Amino acid sequence: MNEESKVMTAREAVEKFVFDGATVGLGGQNVGRMAMAAIHEIVRQGKKDLTIYGCNLSINMDILVGAGLVKRCEAGTGNLEYFGTTFNFRRAIEQGIMEMEDYSHLGMISRFLAGEMGLPFMPTKSMLGSDMLTQQAKSTGKKYERMENPWNPGEPVLLLPALRPDVSLIHAQRADATGNVVIDGFLALDVELARASKHTIVTCEEIVSEERIRSEGERTSIPYLYVSAVVEQPFGSHPAGAYRYYDYDAEHVKLYQKCAREGGKALEEYLNHYIRNSESFDDYLEKAGGIKKIIALIKSMKRMV
Amino acid sequence: MANFSIEELTVIEASRYIKDKETVFAGTGLPLMATMLAQKTHAPHLCFVAETGPIAPIVLPTPLSVSDPRLQYHAVRLGSLREVLGCMLQHGMMDVGFVGGAEIDEFGNINTTVIGDYQRPKVRFPGSGGGNDILSHAKRILIITRHERQRFPKRCTYITSPGYIDGPDARAKAGVTSKKPQIIVVTRLGVMEINPATGRFQIRKLMPGSSVDAILEATGFRPDIPGKIEEVTAPTEQELSTLREKVDPQGLYSKKV
Repeated sequence: MNEESKVMTAREAVEKFVFDGATVGLGGQNVGRMAMAAIHEIVRQGKKDLTIYGCNLSINMDILVGAGLVKRCEAGTGNLEYFGTTFNFRRAIEQGIMEMEDYSHLGMISRFLAGEMGLPFMPTKSMLGSDMLTQQAKSTGKKYERMENPWNPGEPVLLLPALRPDVSLIHAQRADATGNVVIDGFLALDVELARASKHTIVTCEEIVSEERIRSEGERTSIPYLYVSAVVEQPFGSHPAGAYRYYDYDAEHVKLYQKCAREGGKALEEYLNHYIRNSESFDDYLEKAGGIKKIIALIKSMKRMV
Repeated sequence: MANFSIEELTVIEASRYIKDKETVFAGTGLPLMATMLAQKTHAPHLCFVAETGPIAPIVLPTPLSVSDPRLQYHAVRLGSLREVLGCMLQHGMMDVGFVGGAEIDEFGNINTTVIGDYQRPKVRFPGSGGGNDILSHAKRILIITRHERQRFPKRCTYITSPGYIDGPDARAKAGVTSKKPQIIVVTRLGVMEINPATGRFQIRKLMPGSSVDAILEATGFRPDIPGKIEEVTAPTEQELSTLREKVDPQGLYSKKV
């Protein structure tokens, strides 16, 4: 071993690396690879005044917003596609409870790209001619700089400021104890995000040996250097899925959306029943359908891979 | 010819604007349905990419999200947002960008962000996602949406994704990469296309049973009406059976047209 173990529980990881007022990057996308065990833990610990960074924020962000813990988002979208919009996100912005600063997905990726390479900003040709350049949230400082390409005068380019989240939450299929991470399936923004962040909490389906990582180093998505905590949480992405392990749980996503859409008492009941009054993520999984549901989601994935 | 619904024909007609061997960036829902249909009929070699990173997957029915495992099946590469949005789209490699509805105005601008004041909106929509990137960089834009008056306002109050902005040369002036892309919108009433000389929509085709008046009635602006307007041709047996059996067997999306 060249590095000490970073294995800890979700509770310990959130206690240690997430703080009131933190900027938090969220990996995964939509109903794929969400670090839900860490999200639940943030709700239980009530870490507040958070700023959320990401591309397609979904149920992960929406739960934090619903729990009243988010003051601001900077992202491409809050969206669950077929399952509808993210209702807490929508309501919080419409009611002026939360600020949203809009970028395109490539805009956000460019900002993480600058962050991961230690640069102050990154140029992009997206967002030109759009109202993302004419409108911004109240508390946003300088959102962008528009300039001419120095090597081709007259050609406009946009410079976007780097992002370096205080902590990012990523869910992966496998990691070793030191934090070498292997992601199966699409990568979304996770690799850039982890490298841009000051700390990264990785929840994973299973912890594997360092030997196994070293035997196929080309499969390592994120090396241990960028990782602060490793949490082993099987089915830790639920109700989102994890490629090659289990499908997403459309039924539970619909249930969540029903509560989030209704808001008020229905939302509080969801948060209390499934999250605040659960001891752990395992406890939540029991309530969300337990072993029968888990077997069905595994079978559904196995038919595809 | 078998019986078909207008919803089915709308998806089928949209699929016809994709050519074989093209690279296509499509969002889930109707754009993906039409893309899959094209792949399984006249464009078997098209390269479909999804935003989360899959490149050239053989899509299984029926994905509900860009993160859906059905959309990763047999991809040649499971990459990242940066690879798809940066290294393909912004790079200039995307032949077709295919998006769904929201608010679309007479210049083809799309609003998926807010209605009302930005800081305290009356209605907050999801936001750009990859939509702005698609409209900024793809060589051709396809849009499939419901045809309702409030979805086709004269001007979007907020431009999330630029069409021709406010005139034929506005994209070039703003510095948008693709200066005069073809922009086509397909609905259950017909097909409209931006005239690059004016930057405004004109009616190109009518769906069976539709009329110029029906389009004008359901559109918040007045598209140009050229002298000759074609009728959308009825589906072939192959198009219809492929859509029903291989693309959307549960009929999840066709009812959303």
